[in-house]
Amino acid sequence: MDRFVALLMGFLSVVLVNNFVFTKFLGTCPYLGVSGRMDRAFGMGLAVTFVTALSGTLTWMVDAWVLTPLHLEITRYICYIVIIAGAVQLVEMYVRKFFPSLYEAFGIFLPLISTNCVILGICLFLDVWGTNSLLEAVVISTGTGIGFTVAICIMAAIREELALADVPEALQGAPITLITAGLLTLAFMGFAGMIK
Amino acid sequence: MSRLKYFLQQSWLLLASSFCFGLLIAMTNAALSDRIEQNKAAKLNDITKRLLPGAEVFQPVAAEIQIKLPDGTQEQARILEVLAGDKQRLGWSFNVHGSGFAGPIELVLTTDQGFQKIMGFDVLASSETPGFGDQIKSDYYRRQYVNAPTEPLTLAKTGDPAMADSQIVAITGATVSSQAVVDIVNTFLPQIKSQMQEKGLIGNVGP
Amino acid sequence: MSAPNGSTSGLYSKALFTGLWRENPTFRLMIGMCPPLAVTTAVKPALTMGLSVIFVLVCSNLVVSLMRNLLKPHLRIIMFTVTIATFVTICDLFLKAYQPQMSEILGAYVPLIIVNCIIIFRAEACASKSGPLVSILDGVGMGTGFTLALCALSAVRELLATGHVFDIQVMPKAFVPWLALQMPVGAFVTLGLMLGLINVLTRKREVATEDPEATVAPSAPAAPVPATT
Repeated sequence: MDRFVALLMGFLSVVLVNNFVFTKFLGTCPYLGVSGRMDRAFGMGLAVTFVTALSGTLTWMVDAWVLTPLHLEITRYICYIVIIAGAVQLVEMYVRKFFPSLYEAFGIFLPLISTNCVILGICLFLDVWGTNSLLEAVVISTGTGIGFTVAICIMAAIREELALADVPEALQGAPITLITAGLLTLAFMGFAGMIK
Repeated sequence: MSRLKYFLQQSWLLLASSFCFGLLIAMTNAALSDRIEQNKAAKLNDITKRLLPGAEVFQPVAAEIQIKLPDGTQEQARILEVLAGDKQRLGWSFNVHGSGFAGPIELVLTTDQGFQKIMGFDVLASSETPGFGDQIKSDYYRRQYVNAPTEPLTLAKTGDPAMADSQIVAITGATVSSQAVVDIVNTFLPQIKSQMQEKGLIGNVGP
Repeated sequence: MSAPNGSTSGLYSKALFTGLWRENPTFRLMIGMCPPLAVTTAVKPALTMGLSVIFVLVCSNLVVSLMRNLLKPHLRIIMFTVTIATFVTICDLFLKAYQPQMSEILGAYVPLIIVNCIIIFRAEACASKSGPLVSILDGVGMGTGFTLALCALSAVRELLATGHVFDIQVMPKAFVPWLALQMPVGAFVTLGLMLGLINVLTRKREVATEDPEATVAPSAPAAPVPATT
């Protein structure tokens, strides 16, 4: 039971308290770039969640079972990025073959996200946070993806409204998006300290 | 066979350059790894020197000291015996850690030679809110630990911070962070103290 | 980056200078936004990050440019990433060895240079199409543009959040630090306001010179159409 609670807390922690976008600025590029429309934002979020879950788990396994026992930590970054690129490729092929409708929905984002910071970020932070079980790694990496989806969807919803708002000329476009993002960050700071 | 040939044709550049890159990284690592290790040790030693003036020699304690953390896991404590230039023991220094308000907090804690008094602590790593929880690094807060007894500490909202006693006065607006430091000290200090007494590293005299 | 059919020196100077302002990665193209937001609480880490990016960008541009004729189209991206990851690892080791304090502050953001869009974008857009010298100059230019943007942002944030820059007290003693600028919110809002300021300035210049080429509209897309459900 304790283990379950710990996992749940870890999950909530990466979704809300330590949300990668709001506290670590990871994945800011798509967060600002693709958040113009809700449906696209959701598609991007799903694609990222899928790949983070997969590559977070894979890199944790490689790190814990191959690199650390062999003392090859030095090649960690290269291994991570190759695994991520491979995972993205794999997901793309699999989804295109077996779920054509899903591919229509978010397939176009897949090539983009191999350079998404969230994914490499979670691989690195799993190590920094000292994740020491496979289950924990799976839960936390999935949570990170969901946290990203939450962030990008909130942003998209606000930006759809923003399109109708009377924004000062100088701040139109990117600046107002950044300021909105800042205010959202402030709102999410309210979650700070809730889970340790 | 032709598949293998095709595979090689397509990927020879990737394989060759991976080999070169691997070599490059290995060379850099071989050249720099000693320095990196030194830096890590130097950082701990520098903090210890600040907390225990006159410290020159840092000897890792060989005895195994197991710490039970609040989440139920066990870990081995890293303890340094701190000596002055003339080989006289000045005190002990160790890494302790726990969770703060916004993330993990890592501290270096030092005690005097007989483990009677805390000689002070400093923050190795933390991600507390700037201006609030961040103040656990401030002299005002840290000074309260100097000369405090090595018994469980308590946190108080008000009090005299100048008194060298087991009562720590919380930082206004950062009670959680203040409590976190107290909790970390309370988790590690009694366990290290009792195990070191058992192993005969320090005398059994009470505080 | 198809250069106009000008002289060779024109090509070089173009490669060097476009990244500084016209295609400044942070202010104009808005790519690689993670470090400008994450490491700009103070000037020193921002500068370290900028120099690291210059190093990685120049090295990877050079290597990619040297092997540009050998690249297989479908293995191109993975070649780029492996190259970048190698130089980032080397850079990380150097920082750990010679700048341990900075390495600790930057933490995971050093390895995250690998996925910084600027580097892969330049590899794709410039280095895989042009010679080594142009690629190096392009790397220096883009990297410097990025570093300048980082420094500008961090100088503002450090000054207002702590009252000093580079440990030099600038503000009078009575100044109350704006601590919020050290938090994530400060990063977003400061950058947003700076971009707004740049919009105002470039728009004025546009009116003054009436040269439509002088201002590439910031990548800000036209107001998105609300999705019809």
